[in-house]
Amino acid sequence: MKYLNPNRLYHALGRRKFLEFTLFTVFLLFFYSPLMNTVMLAFANVYRVPAVIPQQFGFQWWSFILSKESLMSSIFNSFVIAIVATAVSLIICVPAAYALSRYQFRGRRVLMFSYLLTNAFPKMGLYVSMGILFYKFNLMGTFAGVIIVHIINTLMFMVWLPMGALRNIHRQQEEAARDVGATPLQVFRKVTLPMAMPGIAVASIFTFLGSLEESEGTMLVGFPQINTMATEMYGVISDYPATAGAVFALILIVPSLLILFLFRKYIKPDSVFGGVKIK
Amino acid sequence: MSTDIQKKAIPYLLILPSFALIALFVVYPILNSVIRSFRHPDTGTFTLANYLYFFTDPIQLSNIGYTVFVTVTTVLLTLLFAYPFSIYLRFSNSRLSRWIYGLNLLPRFVPGLVAVYAVMLVINDAGVINRIGRIFGLNIQMGLLHNAKSIIIMNLWFNIPFATLIITAALFGLKASVIESARDIGASKLTIFTKIILPLSYKDALIAVTFVFMSNIGSFTTPYLVGGNAPKMLGIALFDQFNSYMAYERAAALSFIMFLICSISSFIYIYVNLKESKWEQR
Repeated sequence: MKYLNPNRLYHALGRRKFLEFTLFTVFLLFFYSPLMNTVMLAFANVYRVPAVIPQQFGFQWWSFILSKESLMSSIFNSFVIAIVATAVSLIICVPAAYALSRYQFRGRRVLMFSYLLTNAFPKMGLYVSMGILFYKFNLMGTFAGVIIVHIINTLMFMVWLPMGALRNIHRQQEEAARDVGATPLQVFRKVTLPMAMPGIAVASIFTFLGSLEESEGTMLVGFPQINTMATEMYGVISDYPATAGAVFALILIVPSLLILFLFRKYIKPDSVFGGVKIK
Repeated sequence: MSTDIQKKAIPYLLILPSFALIALFVVYPILNSVIRSFRHPDTGTFTLANYLYFFTDPIQLSNIGYTVFVTVTTVLLTLLFAYPFSIYLRFSNSRLSRWIYGLNLLPRFVPGLVAVYAVMLVINDAGVINRIGRIFGLNIQMGLLHNAKSIIIMNLWFNIPFATLIITAALFGLKASVIESARDIGASKLTIFTKIILPLSYKDALIAVTFVFMSNIGSFTTPYLVGGNAPKMLGIALFDQFNSYMAYERAAALSFIMFLICSISSFIYIYVNLKESKWEQR
């Protein structure tokens, strides 16, 4: 314990190191201790006041969560919706990104900025406006309605990120492939696509994870027929004990951590806020 | 000749699906809802009553004031923390700062609901803070939950890493040699900050501010889970109008009011972007 005495630490490390260490501690406490605490509680059987560390560890609440049918079906729904939304979004947006980066045509800039519209209006306001329309089209409470909301949410990233990636490819490389006799489709598949892959991958990750965690639009458009992990989380937070809630929170965060780990070479600080700035 | 027209049509055809989606599910609903906001719910005649309601009803007025207060506080606190934090991350070469830089990415990928829940478990009155207090014989009841404080704490959790990333990226565009030369001719730390760092990074900071401002004006999940019952953030008030009262005209009017509040910051964003391109032209 005596090594943790701030006064000792200050003199042992020196002023600069001490301040840095303090910053690191505050950073971890504010951003990471809530997450770590949740992970710990997910494996607690008994967590009664006043214990900070649970009295008993185990998997009791995992079997509780796994036995809840509505929660299990929500996990299934979430992944189906996220996969379909990402796939449809790719099919729709990558051609648009290609056109915007490769062709000069009238109205190009206007069309480019039209994607900004999806983010210019307050999200809840947009969902409400869409909801009024969805009633007319009988899209309320359907998978199609929810998927449309999810696609719209990340449409801007899905066009702008691949557009930026495609723009960075030198046209000469494509022309060289054409010169040795490749067809336009072959050029796209063998030259353009692989080089634009990082941008497309990051955009897809955004759409996939965005769809998994989207709760507001899903609740407004899909409730009560369509339940996803994110919409179930509202009920879990208000109705279940912390130990059960922590299990479900952990299930919800696992895909993000897994994808972040698997695609770590594509995910760079710049791409995290990609599409925010027009370059 | 026909092949020429075909060639010209290609980009438009490639854009058509995504643009159709925006036209049908973004542009049309928004226009439709703006028109509807000026209509009387029963008679369908032109009226301003839907808007007047939000500016005369005392509860709704306090909601608007509350939302602006929470958002502006969030923006100011975010800047206050993110700016020095970014400068530290940019100019410190220690191993610790590299770690923090990497760890700073994760909050962006944590699902919002999980983050809110995790923080709730720490700050609620029987949460981790309270329990740690009990070890030392204290009963800490900070009453952080279900008021503006918890919304602001949550907003800071989400926005500081985001703003820091943007500002740090801007600072990395700043050559270390510029600062070294300034230091060589005797510039103080404060002078370096006000004369070099600030002018070269304030645009990106403003972009960060715009996004923080816009996302918080319309936020729903955070105030829904940790906010109080009255006053409410506008995102919640809007959801109530639509979902509980089925008052579509009022809901439409409120979304337009929120859009107008947001557009104040959109103007800053567009202005900064345009100014930048002008500067680049020279």
